[in-house]
Amino acid sequence: MAKTELNRKTKTEIEDSSSLKGTLASVFLLGFFLIVTWVSVYFLFLNRF
Amino acid sequence: MNTLNAKIDRRDGKLVMAHFYVAFIALAVGGLAGLLQTLVRSGKFQLPAGIGYYQILTVHGVVLGLVLTTFFIMGFQIAATSRTSGTLSNLQRKLGWIGFWVMTAGTLMAATMILLNKASVLYTFYAPLQAHFIYYLGLTLVVVGSWLDGAAVLGKYINWRKQNPGQPSPLITFMAVVNTMLWIVATIGVAATVLFQLLPWSLGLVDRVDVLISRTLFWYFGHPLVYFWLLPAYMAWYVVIPKVIGAKIFSDSLARLSFILFLLFSIPVGFHHQLMEPGIDPAWKFLQVVLTFLVVIPSLMTAFSLFATFESFGRSKGATGLFGWFKKLPWGDARFTVPFIGMLSFIPAGAGGLVNASHQLNQVVHNTIWVTGHFHLTLATAVVLTFFGISYWLVPHLTGRVLTKAMNKLAIYQGVLWAIGMTFMSGAMHAAGLLGAPRRSSFSEYGGAAQATEWIPYQIAQAVGGTILFIAIILMLYIFVNLAFFAPKGEEEFPIGEISDHAEKTPMVFENWKLWLGITVLLILFAYTIPFIDMIQNAPIGSKGYKLW
Repeated sequence: MAKTELNRKTKTEIEDSSSLKGTLASVFLLGFFLIVTWVSVYFLFLNRF
Repeated sequence: MNTLNAKIDRRDGKLVMAHFYVAFIALAVGGLAGLLQTLVRSGKFQLPAGIGYYQILTVHGVVLGLVLTTFFIMGFQIAATSRTSGTLSNLQRKLGWIGFWVMTAGTLMAATMILLNKASVLYTFYAPLQAHFIYYLGLTLVVVGSWLDGAAVLGKYINWRKQNPGQPSPLITFMAVVNTMLWIVATIGVAATVLFQLLPWSLGLVDRVDVLISRTLFWYFGHPLVYFWLLPAYMAWYVVIPKVIGAKIFSDSLARLSFILFLLFSIPVGFHHQLMEPGIDPAWKFLQVVLTFLVVIPSLMTAFSLFATFESFGRSKGATGLFGWFKKLPWGDARFTVPFIGMLSFIPAGAGGLVNASHQLNQVVHNTIWVTGHFHLTLATAVVLTFFGISYWLVPHLTGRVLTKAMNKLAIYQGVLWAIGMTFMSGAMHAAGLLGAPRRSSFSEYGGAAQATEWIPYQIAQAVGGTILFIAIILMLYIFVNLAFFAPKGEEEFPIGEISDHAEKTPMVFENWKLWLGITVLLILFAYTIPFIDMIQNAPIGSKGYKLW
């Protein structure tokens, strides 16, 4: 019985409406932008001083 | 006891509108001065009638940075408190009116001196530039008046707590209280330099002024001033925007914690504006740099909370995929879209802020027009567009009118136009700043220097941006006048969000002011005591006053 259930292909396309994966991706993108900006000016600093 | 007023009491509404009238007159005057500045800096335009560049620069900075902001914020905070904690008592309202008139008198005094060209000391009024004493007195009155306004908000909060023992205060009232406390603690610094240094010196009672101490006191005030501007925008982002879009507030506790962190970490950090200043030990500068970076935490908490609110809302409307929720947001509603543009601009603004505050890295951008570009993204976009977004519903709410579809459309155009203008202006300022273009200074070819020639195209781009921004200001003023006097009569909602059902219960520790103010004072003493002793013990002979305009 258990085996049959394991073998059954269930469709899991229905997304959890409480998912915050977009929020996670957004804050990662934000953090990435902050780091890239900082590092760019840091290299300018290294070149100039 | 339920003190939530669906509609603000008419008497409180009049007090709030009085503040807004001054704020929007300031927008008109300061905006015109800003346009003229960018035109002069393009090198293609000269001011008529002997008006000085530094005179209009001072008008622009003081009228927009101090007058527009303080009047709008005080009005908004009174409105938010009256809406969620109940109508002000007669005494509180009277305090508010006295505060309003004291601030207005102070504004008129300072403005008169600037217009008479007796106070072209720029926005920061750094000593040893010396203004007429009436200018300093006027600014003092603006601050004292704002304390009275703040007392009305604090008084109402105390009443609410007494009537509702053991309960957390309404979120937006709590936020207004944090910002009022931040403002009171911060303005002690500027009050000290004006009362004990600049006023006696400008009156001729003393000959010389200690420049380093006056600048340090200014920045003790100047950085939390930035957060005093920003927190009312955050109030709208956390509490109002969720209601506007039909969502719920992600977490009450998270919002309160981020406000408390701003109270703690926005004050003992003024040295990051003085990183190139001689006379301050680098170790103390470094300590304040570390404290500055702690402000990143509540900023990212805010970003997370907003994204989460938007995503939860979008998914509740059936959005799928990683970013499907983005499309579900109500882009046709100016009350959302205009502040959203502000939120978006806060991302590059924050990135620039990290560069500014990074100790030696500050050398790349210090005193360049990059810094001007930076605060035109923070204050003049993130904050100001949110204030405009607030006006679109708060002004008609107070005047018993409605935001019509036509005005809503115009308001969206206004926000988009602002974003375009600011992209040109602030983008060109950032770029020119990285090429070394100085801030504050009028147009000059610097004797034909090759480096200065590189800056000129960017200065023209700034004038293009400034012109677009001025058109956006005219649109805003038109919408304000419409909502105040001409829009159809009706009921416009003052949106206050509800807390999500999934949020945890708010702990009462957030209302423990002895604790939070105690830590605030300790951090300030820790960050400033030894540097101040050092500055006083090793003080050079003070400087005489200069009037270079």
